[in-house]
Amino acid sequence: MSGSNIYKPEMMEITDIVQETSDTKTFRLKFKNESTAKSFSFKAGQFGEYGVFGEGESTFCIASSPTRSEYIECSFKQIGKVTTALTRLRVGDSVGFRGPYGNYFPVEEMKGKNVVFIAGGIGLAPVRCVIWNTLDLRNDFKDVTIIYGARSFNDLVYKRELKEWKERKDIKTVVTVDPGGEVPDWDGEIGFVPAIVEKVAPKAENTVAIVCGPPIMIKFTIPVLQKLGFAEENIITTLENRMKCGLGKCGRCNVGNVYVCKDGPVFTYAQMKELPQEY
Amino acid sequence: MEEKIISLDNLSFFVNDLIKDNHIVIGQDSKEINWKRITGAKDIVVNSKNIPSNISYKEFVFAKTEPIIYYKNKKDEFDIVEPALPRQKLVFLGAKPCDARSIEIMSKVFNWDYKDKFFNERAEGSIVIGVACNYQDKFCFCTSVGLSPVTEKGSDLFLVPLDEKNFALQIVTERGKEFIQPYQKYLSDGNQAKSKEILSKIKNPEKRFETSKVSEWLTNNFEHKIFDNVGDICVGCGQCAFACPVCHCFDIVDEECDYSSGRRMKNWDACQFGLFTLHGSGHNPRETQGKRYRQRIAHKFKYYQDKFDEVLCTGCGRCSRGCPVGIDIAEVVAEINSLA
Amino acid sequence: MNELRAKAKELLTNGTVKVVIGYIESTTPDRTKPFIARTAEDAEKLVFNKYCVNNLALYLTRKEFRRTGVVGIVAKGCDVKAIVQLIQENQVNKDDVYIIGMNCNGVVSELGQDFSAETIATKCLNCSVRTPLLYHTLLGTLEDLPKREDKNFVLMQKLDAMSAGERWDFWEDEFERCVKCYACRQACPLCYCERCIADKTVPRWIESSAHTRGNFSWNIIRAFHLAGRCIGCNECERACPAEIPLSLLNRKMGMVAKKEFDFVAGMGLDTPTLVGTYNLNDNEDFIK
Repeated sequence: MSGSNIYKPEMMEITDIVQETSDTKTFRLKFKNESTAKSFSFKAGQFGEYGVFGEGESTFCIASSPTRSEYIECSFKQIGKVTTALTRLRVGDSVGFRGPYGNYFPVEEMKGKNVVFIAGGIGLAPVRCVIWNTLDLRNDFKDVTIIYGARSFNDLVYKRELKEWKERKDIKTVVTVDPGGEVPDWDGEIGFVPAIVEKVAPKAENTVAIVCGPPIMIKFTIPVLQKLGFAEENIITTLENRMKCGLGKCGRCNVGNVYVCKDGPVFTYAQMKELPQEY
Repeated sequence: MEEKIISLDNLSFFVNDLIKDNHIVIGQDSKEINWKRITGAKDIVVNSKNIPSNISYKEFVFAKTEPIIYYKNKKDEFDIVEPALPRQKLVFLGAKPCDARSIEIMSKVFNWDYKDKFFNERAEGSIVIGVACNYQDKFCFCTSVGLSPVTEKGSDLFLVPLDEKNFALQIVTERGKEFIQPYQKYLSDGNQAKSKEILSKIKNPEKRFETSKVSEWLTNNFEHKIFDNVGDICVGCGQCAFACPVCHCFDIVDEECDYSSGRRMKNWDACQFGLFTLHGSGHNPRETQGKRYRQRIAHKFKYYQDKFDEVLCTGCGRCSRGCPVGIDIAEVVAEINSLA
Repeated sequence: MNELRAKAKELLTNGTVKVVIGYIESTTPDRTKPFIARTAEDAEKLVFNKYCVNNLALYLTRKEFRRTGVVGIVAKGCDVKAIVQLIQENQVNKDDVYIIGMNCNGVVSELGQDFSAETIATKCLNCSVRTPLLYHTLLGTLEDLPKREDKNFVLMQKLDAMSAGERWDFWEDEFERCVKCYACRQACPLCYCERCIADKTVPRWIESSAHTRGNFSWNIIRAFHLAGRCIGCNECERACPAEIPLSLLNRKMGMVAKKEFDFVAGMGLDTPTLVGTYNLNDNEDFIK
C-alpha cells in the first residue's frame, strides 16, 4: 500500500529550445530512459513538475500535443528561482520531470463540434496543446477558430505556429495585440481579447470554447461568451495556482474543497462558478 | 472489548521490552513541549492529567523536514538516489484522545489518490497506546468535533488510570491485540466495572459548536467580516499549523549537500504564511491575513469534511493556547455556530 | 481601566486618532489579546492589567495602519522602546502615532498563570522604563514590583563560562526543537522587513528546512539582525511553541551593545541608532 516514491522525477533531455519572447522559452524534452519514453502518455491539458536539481521544481502545462508522443514541450516565463535556472540550460542538458498530473480537456466529447480557442499571453501554452491535438485529428471536428492576443507584438508566443495557423485554410486564426502594442507592419487585429471575441467568435450552437489567459482576460471574456449564447458547460478553462507537489497533498493549490492539481486544472465555467472566488 | 490491568512497574518493563524489540517508542516530553523518542523506562510520561504538549507528535509520521530524493552530479549527468526509508515500528505511548486519531485523519489526504510512502512507511506499522484524559481547560473542545476525553477512537490500546499504581488496558483493535500478545506476562485480569466507573466520572469539555452547522454556514458565507476581524490581529506565523496534530501542508525545496550533490526536501508549511499561495506573477489568491485565516477555518471545518469525510481538527486546543496574539479557534467557530 | 476607556473613547470621538490599538480580555481572565478599537463602543472593551504582555508596536508597521492617519496605541514602557526604535528606523512617523502610555507594574512571563513573584516576566525585574519615556497621555499609578532572582541572567553567565563546544551543544539541543514556524519573527515589532531574508530564494541565504543547519542559520542570523535593535520585550521567546530561550541570545547582544558602544536600543529619539549611524570616531578599523 505504501507504494513507490511519488516525488521522484524522471530524467529528460532538452533536445530543442525556442526563445519565444525576451523572457519566455519553449523546451522540447525527451525521456532519457527508453522504457519510460515508451510507456509515457498524457492527455491535452495535463501538466508536470519540471525540476532543476539544486534549484527546485516548477509547474507548467505540457504545451505539446499528445498526438506527438515522441517528446513533450513546455513553455515558461523567467520569473523566479527555478525558471531562471531553466533559462540557463542548453540543448543536451537534463531536466527532472514528474507527471503527467491533473485532469484534461474533454477532447473526445468535443469531436463533431465546432471549437473556438481563446488565449491571452502565455496562456496560449495549454491551449496550444489542444489546438495541435485538434488539428492533428482535424476531420473529427467541425469549424475551428483560434483567437489569440497579447499585450504587444513582442509578447506573442509561438510566432511560427501563429503564422502557420493563419495560413491554413481549414481554420480561422485571429491574432490581436493591445492598443499600442502593435509594430509598424502589423497585419493582425488591435484590441483587447474580449472585444475581438465578440467580433469574430463563431455561433454558440454546437460549439465549445476553450479559454485560457490572465485572470483579467478571463473575467471579461466569459460574459462576452455568455452574451453570444455559450452554455456554462461549454466554456472550458484551465486554472493556474501555485503548486508544489502536483499530487493533491501539499495543500497550496486548494480552492475550496478542490485540489487544482488533482481535480483540475481543467474546469468548465459551470464548475468554476461553484468554487469560492479565491484563485 | 477485552480489558486487562497493567501496573506502573510493569508498564516500565513493557516499554523496556518494546525498545529491546526494536520498537521506537514515542512519548510526551516531561516539559510538555513536544514528543520524544523514549530511551528507557525513566522517560515514560503516561499521565492523564497533563496538558497536551505545545507541539503534537505528528512529526514522527509527517516529518517537519526530510529528504525525498538525493541527487549527485557526475559530470554532466545527474544520479537520483532515493533516501533509505526503513519501515519503522512506531509506538505512541500515552496519546490523549485528541492526539490518537491524528494519523488516521491525515492518512486520508496522504492516500486519497497517489500514496505518500514517506507518511505510510511510518504510519502503517504504528501502534497508538491512548490514555483517558483527565486534563481540561478553557481551550479544550474535543467534544465539539466528535471526540471525548474518554474515547478509545484512534487508539489500538487504551489506558485508563485506575489508581496511583495501576492502569486498565483496553484492547481496542486487532492490531493492538496482536501487538500486545508477546507481552502478556505484564498483564493481569481486568475489571471492566471499575474502569467504566472511572471513565464515567471524567467530565466532558463543554460542547461549543455543531460541525454540520458550521460547515453549512461556511458554504454560504464565504465573505464575512468574522475572518477579517481575526485577520486584524493575526500575525501570520505558523504556530497554529505546526502545533496542530492534523495540519499537513508542506513545501518542497532543494538544498545543497556539497558542491556536487544535494537533496530535495519536504518541509512543513502553513497556509497562514503570506507567501504560501503567492504566484510568480505577483498575484496572490489569498492576499490578506483575513483570507488566509478563512482558509484555515474552512479547510478544517468544511473542505476536508466535504472531500474526505473528516473534520480536520481534534479539539486539542494547541493552536489557541500557543497563539501569540490569543486567537481562540473554538471561540471563532462557536461564533460561526451562533451565526448559523 | 476606566480612565483608559474614557481616554480611548475621547480620542476616537474627537477624531484625534482613527483607531486605538489596545488589549481586550481573552479566553480566560488571566489572558488578554490585541484588539483594534475603531469606535467609541469598541473602546469600552479595552483593558489594561498584568496580563497585557503583547508588544502592540508590532502593528504600527502594518501597511493598513501606515495609511490610516494617526494611530492610537496603548503602550507599556517596553513597548514604547519599540516605538522609539521604529521611529528612529524611519518605519513609523512620529506624528502618526498617539501613545497612551501606561505606568506599568509588571506583566506575567507567560499567559495563563496568575501574576506573582514567580511568574513576573524577566524583563520586568530590572525595568528602568516603568513610566514610558515617550507618551502623549500617561495613565495608571506605579506600585511596588514583586522581586525574584533573575534566573535568565544566571543561565547567561553559565553560558558565558562555557567553552565554545559546550555552548554549541547547548544551542544544538535548543534549536533542535525549532519547527520554523517563524512565530518569533512575526511577534517581533522590529522584524518588519517586507521580505525577510529567510524567505528570499534568489539566492537562498537561509535553508528553510527545520534541521540543525537550517535552524542554526535562522536563529543566529535573526539574533544578529536584532543586535543593537532589540529592545528586549521578549515577545519572540514567549511566542515560540518550542520554548527556545531566545532571550539568552538577544539579551546577550544587547549587553554587548551596551558594553562596547554604550548603546541601549529604544531609549531616546535623540540618540542615534547603533547600526544605522556612522561615527567618525568608531573604534572599528574596518569601517574607516
